[in-house]
Formats: sequence, C-alpha cells, structure tokens
Amino acid sequence: MQSMIKGSDFIVRNWGASAPGLSSVDDWKNWYATQRISPDSKPPLLPNSISKMLQRRLSLLARLVFHAAGQCLDDGEIMPVVFSSAHGEICKSLEMLKAIQAGEGLSPTAFSLSVHNAIAGLFSIAYSNSREMTVIAPGLEGIAPAFIEALGLLYENGLHEKGLRENNEVLLVFYDEPIADFYPVAPFNLNAPFPCALALKVSLAGDGLPVRLSRSSESRDDGEHPVQLLAFLRFLLGDEQSLTLGNQGRGWRWGKI
Amino acid sequence: MENELKQLIIDALDLEDIGIDDIDSDAALFNDGLGLDSIDALELGLAIRKKYNVKIDAEKEDVVKIFSSVSTLANYIRAQSI
Repeated sequence: MQSMIKGSDFIVRNWGASAPGLSSVDDWKNWYATQRISPDSKPPLLPNSISKMLQRRLSLLARLVFHAAGQCLDDGEIMPVVFSSAHGEICKSLEMLKAIQAGEGLSPTAFSLSVHNAIAGLFSIAYSNSREMTVIAPGLEGIAPAFIEALGLLYENGLHEKGLRENNEVLLVFYDEPIADFYPVAPFNLNAPFPCALALKVSLAGDGLPVRLSRSSESRDDGEHPVQLLAFLRFLLGDEQSLTLGNQGRGWRWGKI
Repeated sequence: MENELKQLIIDALDLEDIGIDDIDSDAALFNDGLGLDSIDALELGLAIRKKYNVKIDAEKEDVVKIFSSVSTLANYIRAQSI
C-alpha cells in the first residue's frame, strides 16, 4: 500500500523475533499454533560480523535483541532505534546487589552492562550505528510509548527530508526476560514465561503491513510490557485485524488497514 | 606467575576462545594486542585485588605502564607483594 498516510498510521516493513529455541518465522508460526517452547534450547548464534570480544559481553537477553534486530536489517544498514523494555537487565542488578550484600567487590563490567541503555550501547557499537537511540521503560503503558516515540522520529526526520520517503525508517525493539523470584510481582501481570525480543522496522511509506495506532478507552487489564510484547507478536502472526492493549482505563488499539 | 595471571585474565574477562598459550607475556594487553578495553582494565584491577590483595591506584601509579603486558603486570604484583 503506497498511499499517503495520516497521523498515527505506519507501515511494518518487516519484523523478527527471538527467544530461546525460537528464531525463524516458521518457529514462531509453530509457537503460535502450539504455544509451546522447548525448555532446553540454546541462545541464538550471532553472525561473525559481531566480534567475539563484543559477544562475550552479551547476556542471553542481549543476544535475543541482536538476533531479532539482525533479522530486520540488511548488511551495514543503520537507522534510528527505539528500544523498549520494562525491566532491562534487572537480573544483572540483582546479582550485583547480592555481591554488595556479601561484601564483595562490584564487577565494573556487570555494572556497565546493567543500566537500562546497556544493550542499546552494545548494539550501536556492534552495528556502527550512530543514529538516534532511545531506550524506554514504559511501566503500565506497555508497548505503546515505543510506537509513539518511533512515529515522532519518523515525522521529525521526514520533515527534514521534505516528505515521506521509504528510506525514512526506524527500528523498534521490544525485549524482556522473566524477572527473578526475589521480586514480588503479584498482583501485577508483568512477567512473560520466557525471555523474548521482537524487532519491527517501521516507516511512513513503502511496502509492508500498514497499521493504524489509536487510543482506546476500553477498560482493560492486559498486563505490562513483557506480556504485551507477546500479544503483539501473536497479532503479527495471526489473522486478527485489530489488537487492543490497556490497563486502568488507558489503552491503545492497533488495526491492520 | 605469568601463567597464573593469564588464566586470571581469561576467567575474569570471559575470554572463552583463548587459552594461556595464546597470550604472549610481552604483547600489549590493550588495543592492538589482545584487544582489551577500558572496562576490562577496571575488571582486571578488581580481579587482581581479590586474588593478590594488591590495589592499583590510578591516581598514584603509572597504570598504562603497569597494564601494558602480562610481564609488566606480574612484575608490579611481585614488587607489591614483598
């Protein structure tokens, strides 16, 4: 669909997702049908273009992010990226807190990789991507703020380029892992059953899946970011024409147009 | 001590694909040599403090010289441990 687009419409040019044992689109279709994931699966292998010296710093979650994002990008392709994660590398933070409690010295590497924009930093180095990067911790709003940020970037960059060009694209990357039992999550619905990353390349023009984002005032309780991420993945894989996600009277609707 | 230090470097810095025979005692540890970076320097400093109880103070010592190779690092630790 090549027609001009309005306010909160965008095009999903392509997407990729990664979880332990689930990497190809066929894997995800199988997951969609069975909702099953094999428990002993290994983290995905990354291309050799990402140096071993950098790969040693990647946690499982970071590997999933790289793997999902890599499926959306051509070799050497760079663009602005919006990362979105409820908890980031919270498991690393917990390990450090335990080290402090035990009176041990704190690992500088672990500290540098525990901050919310740690994976974004590694990503920018690995892909030599010096474009705008934002890392969102969205809370109750779930996955929607990242889409709004991406739309803002697309329109801002579109203005400079005087129009809606196909090469005006933003990569959206959602990721989360189950948080440690140490943290009490009840009564909040914010834990997914497995670590997962979902990447979408979005634009205002060009081929792909056109989607309209709008507000929804329905009273809903759809869970937070880690749960919404999987709901959006099912929306991409399935035939449903719309997806509404919200909490406490604030929600958003994505419609295939 | 050189081999012990090499193993410490491999373990502390997650250099999974490297063995102690791959590290030349006199080769540069950072940048062009083994390819370690500034975070590795901090991590290695912590590992040395834990294992040898030797603290390398960046404000008082010539850290570039001390960290230049496995040999220089071993010499420094030996001198401090006496």
